[in-house]
Amino acid sequence: MNTFVLTISSPDGNIFQGEAVKLSVRGIEGDLAVMAGHIPFITAVKDCDCKIELSDGTEKKGHTSGGLLNVAKDSVILLSDCFNW
Amino acid sequence: MGVDTKKLRNRIKSVDSTLHLTTAMGLVASSKIRKAMEAMLKSREYAGMIEKVVQNLANSKECAKSPYMEQRGEGKTCIIVIAGDRGLAGGYNSNVFRLAKQYPDAEFIAVGKRACDIFGGEYNAEYFSFEQASALSKKLCSEFSEGSIDRVGIISTEYISMMSQEARISWILPLVRSEETDDMTGIIFEPDELSVLNTAVPLYVAGMIVAHVRESFISEVAARRCAMDSAGKNAKQMIDDLQLAYNRARQSAITQEITEIVAGSGM
Repeated sequence: MNTFVLTISSPDGNIFQGEAVKLSVRGIEGDLAVMAGHIPFITAVKDCDCKIELSDGTEKKGHTSGGLLNVAKDSVILLSDCFNW
Repeated sequence: MGVDTKKLRNRIKSVDSTLHLTTAMGLVASSKIRKAMEAMLKSREYAGMIEKVVQNLANSKECAKSPYMEQRGEGKTCIIVIAGDRGLAGGYNSNVFRLAKQYPDAEFIAVGKRACDIFGGEYNAEYFSFEQASALSKKLCSEFSEGSIDRVGIISTEYISMMSQEARISWILPLVRSEETDDMTGIIFEPDELSVLNTAVPLYVAGMIVAHVRESFISEVAARRCAMDSAGKNAKQMIDDLQLAYNRARQSAITQEITEIVAGSGM
């Protein structure tokens, strides 16, 4: 499975930084998932549950109270104003 | 003897208790440094990332229409003044207030008890949370886009090193275009640049407020440690001088007493 570097950053520091296979969040226009090789894009994220699929097949779930998702060529950054696992 | 030495003894005692106080405050400040440093670095990371995104958005053509980009000059100014919760930190608080005095017409929002004493408010600098910053940021952003304020700034203290900190003002709204920009071609914005910018700005403002508060707090702690160090040194010097004067006074009193006894015995 192809992976990408995911960083979840909040004002309390980086909550998560590592390889991930898939990230699912609720964007301002609806639910979306990001996988490796996704086209670069930026969107606002709503207050929602996030699902992160890791390279070993496990799934992590968290909650963001909104923020910004920045998908670049080689990395994905979720800037969350408050993130809890 | 008597009066003079007693006075000196009392003074030594009082300077000694001041020395204890400064040492204790210095130790408390040192113990807070590591935690404050960590908090500053974390908030700086977040603020740096969001600043980059907002800056890139601000440079795009579509975002020029955003209310946050309107340069309305030096009209109604709102400044967030970040000072300490306590005194005894050298020139830390006074440097901040001196800088604030340069903007007599501005509306001030105070963070830190010392600033609250002057400008009113109830934000604590040490325990300032992101929720508070978020609420403040939303209020400022809506006032700015409505046009009731024309620019927003933050007066904080820049942490240069343990020995030096400097009060500064940084303007966060309106956004300004910068020369440096990443290549934004090929990046899709959902739904469009303008709405992404308008959502990102309150986050950016809150991130900047938190980053400045955290940086100011470590500056306060560092300033207090330096101030307490030098106060401790001065107290020690003072005790040494007083001890010398006390010993001299005591010695001369003894000498005088011996002289009196000798003279009295008629030898």
